[in-house]
Amino acid sequence: MTAPLLDARNLTRRYRLPRTSLLHPAPVLTAVDNTSFTIRAGETLGVVGESGSGKSTIARMVMAFETPDAGEVLFQGQNLHALSPYELRLQRQKFQMVFQDPFGSLDPRRTVGWSIAEPMRAIGADTDTARRTAEALEQVGLPARDADKYPHEFSGGQRQRIAIARAIVTRPALLVADEAVSALDVSVQAQILNLLMDLQDDLGLGILFISHDLAVVASICDHILVMQHGKPLESGPAAQVLRSPAHAYTQTLLKAAGVST
Amino acid sequence: MFQLADFSVSFGTATALRRATLDIRQGDRLGIVGESGSGKTMLALALMGMAPDAATISGRLTIDGHDMTHATEATWQQMRARRVAMIFQEPMSALNPLRRIGDTVMEPLIVHEGLSRAQAQARVLALLEEVGIPDPAARLRMFPHELSGGQRQRVLIALALACNPALLIADEPTTALDANVALRITDLLVRLAQERGMALVFITHDLAAVARTTKDIVVMYGGDMIERGPTAQVLSAPAHPYTQGLLAARPDPTVPPRDATGKRRRLPTLPGTVPPLAALPQGCRFSGRCSVELPQCAGTRPTDHALDADRSAACHLLGATP
Repeated sequence: MTAPLLDARNLTRRYRLPRTSLLHPAPVLTAVDNTSFTIRAGETLGVVGESGSGKSTIARMVMAFETPDAGEVLFQGQNLHALSPYELRLQRQKFQMVFQDPFGSLDPRRTVGWSIAEPMRAIGADTDTARRTAEALEQVGLPARDADKYPHEFSGGQRQRIAIARAIVTRPALLVADEAVSALDVSVQAQILNLLMDLQDDLGLGILFISHDLAVVASICDHILVMQHGKPLESGPAAQVLRSPAHAYTQTLLKAAGVST
Repeated sequence: MFQLADFSVSFGTATALRRATLDIRQGDRLGIVGESGSGKTMLALALMGMAPDAATISGRLTIDGHDMTHATEATWQQMRARRVAMIFQEPMSALNPLRRIGDTVMEPLIVHEGLSRAQAQARVLALLEEVGIPDPAARLRMFPHELSGGQRQRVLIALALACNPALLIADEPTTALDANVALRITDLLVRLAQERGMALVFITHDLAAVARTTKDIVVMYGGDMIERGPTAQVLSAPAHPYTQGLLAARPDPTVPPRDATGKRRRLPTLPGTVPPLAALPQGCRFSGRCSVELPQCAGTRPTDHALDADRSAACHLLGATP
């Protein structure tokens, strides 16, 4: 077996809450507690849970936006949180993120071509941006000439395609998708899920796919990690978790996702 | 009780709701299903007499036999809260953050029923209890930010129920909530409707929620009501190509993502996106995206074809095959 693309070991993240009393220390919230997972190239890990379960904190630690209080994130064997700021910045081209809100994540005053090329500029690779931007747009199923348009000219689904183009323009090995289809209508959601699957097959991407909707996770993920209150409840191959959920909580999520009553 | 006949709402050349026909009787639990831009929220606003002033309205809306199509605001104020009430998607922004929830829920009782504060407070306590809020006496004095999202939605339900409406309209009541909170809210709505003999109109894009909650559904697309019938029948054997596509596009958690050979299963999709209101086709709103389109579809609006005593769909294809 080859080494996994991403190896997260015993991640723990605590936040200090506002003090409630002068006499007691500030209470501490453990947002993620001792959680481990791996993602291989070309595979998708789905993290499911409701708000407050710690899924977005996991995404932020994997993206090195936040440093874990304990544990480490190994990306291609390298501990992301031990890198110098300069080294981290160069590494960022290899892991990119897609956010939930396709309206908030694009600058309304810039052409989408400018937004898509921004990760290239951030790593100092600003030659060849026009060709790479055009290539990224075509990979997500939009015409290359759309680079000159502004975000308001696109529908929600098209904007999410643009956000994905921005994430793949640096040719990353890992894509982190935090509720990337939750704001979309059902029929558009299916188009974006298919796009992610196609990109994964073409580019060999590893995907960390975060969602509260078990049905969506089931359609795209090879492995599933169920979180509740910051703790990993159960994890395993998607088929196994879905067929015989070990926890009552997973069963509730399944019930909420099913059309049959 | 509530009747819409050929009811349309339009803005200039853009038609948000086209010739809607609907009958709501006591005890009905009706789901209105559709994607963004399908006209489902416009339908809810019309039933509340809250269609925007800029809109042109035609057709007929009657409530308890009274023609309300062009009723004045004063008439609607008599109707709202007592005959029809509504709950909204975002429980935080629907509550005034500066008022205690007890005062908010009390307001319709004082305004519409002329109760004193003491009488109203007793009713509010009973209401909060009915919608499952623990320790209602303490909650009365709380502000919205002190409650969780699920509890805020319960407060809004209590507020809507205050004057015993005959019809409760719930517009995406669970979209902003977590899965198991959403399950409890839909269960609560069903129980309240049954216990009170109240009609419920449940507006959503969530097919799973509509399956749990309603007896009948109407599927909307581009301002048209394109299919209707008992919920279980429509969801298990959809007749309109749009309904079929919508159901197929919904991921099924029981189907594994790869087949036996390790190949990915792609989700069936509907091609394209919902066009803007002003650019919708004149005939069948779904023409241009439909996989089984006939020559007449783009130009001629299909009429409802009865499939059964209580099922129908508006599609030319159903008229073509006997």
